[in-house]
Amino acid sequence: MADVITVEHLTVAFPAKEGTDEVVRDVSLAIGAGERVGLVGESGSGKSLTARAIMRLIPQPGRVTEGTVCFDGTELGAKSAPTRWRGAKIAMITQDPLSSLNPLVKIGTQITEMLRYHRGLRRAEAKARAQELLRSVGIPDPRRTMTRYPAVLSGGMRQRVALAIAISCDPRLLIADEPTTALDVTVQAQVLTLLERMTAEHRSAVLLISHDLGVVGTFCDRLLVMYAGRIVESGPTAAVIGGPAHPYTRALIASIPSLQGELPDRLASIAGSPPHGGAQAAGCAFAPRCPMAREVCRQTDPALLTIPSLRTVPADSHQAACHALGDENWNQAA
Amino acid sequence: MTDPAHLHGATTERQATAQPAVDVRDLRVHFTVHRGLVGSQVVKAVDGVSFTIAAGETLGLAGESGSGKSTVARTLVRINRPTGGSVLLDGAETARLSGQQLRAYRRRMQMVYQDPYDSLDPKMTIKDAIGEGLSVRGVPRARRTSEVEELLARVNLPVALAGRYPGQLSGGQRQRVSIARALAVSPEVIVCDEAVAALDVSIRAQVLNLLKDIQADAGVSYLFISHDLSTLRFMADRIAIMYVGRLVEHGTSEQVFGQPAHPYTQALMAAVPDIVNLGRALPAPLPGEPPNPASPPPGCAFHPRCPLAIDVCRTVAPPLVRKATGQLAACHVVPDAPGVTP
Repeated sequence: MADVITVEHLTVAFPAKEGTDEVVRDVSLAIGAGERVGLVGESGSGKSLTARAIMRLIPQPGRVTEGTVCFDGTELGAKSAPTRWRGAKIAMITQDPLSSLNPLVKIGTQITEMLRYHRGLRRAEAKARAQELLRSVGIPDPRRTMTRYPAVLSGGMRQRVALAIAISCDPRLLIADEPTTALDVTVQAQVLTLLERMTAEHRSAVLLISHDLGVVGTFCDRLLVMYAGRIVESGPTAAVIGGPAHPYTRALIASIPSLQGELPDRLASIAGSPPHGGAQAAGCAFAPRCPMAREVCRQTDPALLTIPSLRTVPADSHQAACHALGDENWNQAA
Repeated sequence: MTDPAHLHGATTERQATAQPAVDVRDLRVHFTVHRGLVGSQVVKAVDGVSFTIAAGETLGLAGESGSGKSTVARTLVRINRPTGGSVLLDGAETARLSGQQLRAYRRRMQMVYQDPYDSLDPKMTIKDAIGEGLSVRGVPRARRTSEVEELLARVNLPVALAGRYPGQLSGGQRQRVSIARALAVSPEVIVCDEAVAALDVSIRAQVLNLLKDIQADAGVSYLFISHDLSTLRFMADRIAIMYVGRLVEHGTSEQVFGQPAHPYTQALMAAVPDIVNLGRALPAPLPGEPPNPASPPPGCAFHPRCPLAIDVCRTVAPPLVRKATGQLAACHVVPDAPGVTP
């Protein structure tokens, strides 16, 4: 299966007082057609900036200092005009559609402009197609909704409209950045189900970004866990959630209360708080909070290593960046 | 106030009596919304809600947007005035307090808000923000610094933060300051309105553990409001579920999470993506959205979304009664406990 999107060694930096602040560091990922990949991390982990780097929407004064983004085998470099593919081949929905929809333009116009610009449809054709799209995302009265402004719709309805716009040109890749965070839990379930159906029908690749392990865990085939700008663990969902290899992933999973099973008296918690922006000078960014950290962790940043497993398919797909991996005596000696 | 047990003392007496610390009876909060020049409309944000919270207990209140759960919180701390019903604190009616008495009441009932960025004055140092509460409690100036340091230690913050401003702290640290500030007046009840919703996952667990520790030490009661059911399951002894201004289910945590009675509660739980259930297909979601409280559906407000709705649900609002599973629920379809007269 050829990958729809390949990101290699992506680094995004912002100017800082001294030198630069690398907020995304050496991120590599690939997503195949129809595959759903989840990017999990806390605020400031660089997950949204990774998405924006793919879309070539890094806010000033930040810039991509290293790495490549290839779409269908072609590099999305400085030479390809983003207006040719942005929205049409790679679409994005954000947490709050109030900020991604134009508040002064009617819903109908916002969908038809996509179809007319990217697809070259005539006005009447575009209108008919827009109605179909709105109906397919579960908007009850598409004709009337098209004449309304974003502000009069509920959060769930706005997110449906954003999704209708995003899929209007059959994108090969859909990036969904916290698409359900602002929604009520029953509406979140509706939007996730819809996202699942729409992307399955179009065989779109999906990059779902969320801080909520439950959301990415139930929706995605594969997970990438980010911490302080780096991918610290990646692998098939069942392997990452069922057998987390990085101490950060383990702690994250342990700190979430569940609706089922034994109730602990206390939640496992991670001491300290995630670093702001880029990482410190040397070593593993998680070391200051890590219960297993040793001297080497404060000296050198660990590389991503494959976790050998007979169950993971393909066999090399579960990786984590931790010095303790493969060292059976790590805990005793510490 | 030489007794350092100001955080402990008052509660032991209360525990001796069986009286609940907070007793809310048939609380109503109606707002009049003016439309145009002559039109007006009554929005029943909270419409006949009753619950009690015992000393040292946590009541978890869940609901979606527009359910009125934040209005309940704001009415308890008297940001909003109740338009009907009563709120008893240690048996004394408080719904109509004003002036000096209201100020005294607010010392006993504190609130921690969702957003620690908005709820702390950016121009006040941490020491001053917490010290304000101490001065309200009448702690002499000379002792304030040491008490501020004690409070910071209680919420696991380094004393060195006392001179900083909120803008210099992280979200988790700010929320700890908000908690310390609430504790400064030695309240009996703390209302936590989505107190951990804005925090990162790894920070959330720290703050939840802290709130539990404080309760174990000081015996405070919590009204813990959250849209996150798994957090409520961890925090609360009893649970109340709100839908468009009313309670639809109310019982112990074991009852409500073990065997949810109301179809809304069931749908709410099914909709939570839980990592324990990996590989499970997403459940068929509940159709529709929570209704606008300004124009709730007639009968049972949940009927347009309910898979069990029958004719009577469309016209008659069901009462909150004991169900066969032990908890209270407001549903015509779910079987009542034996002995409940219709």
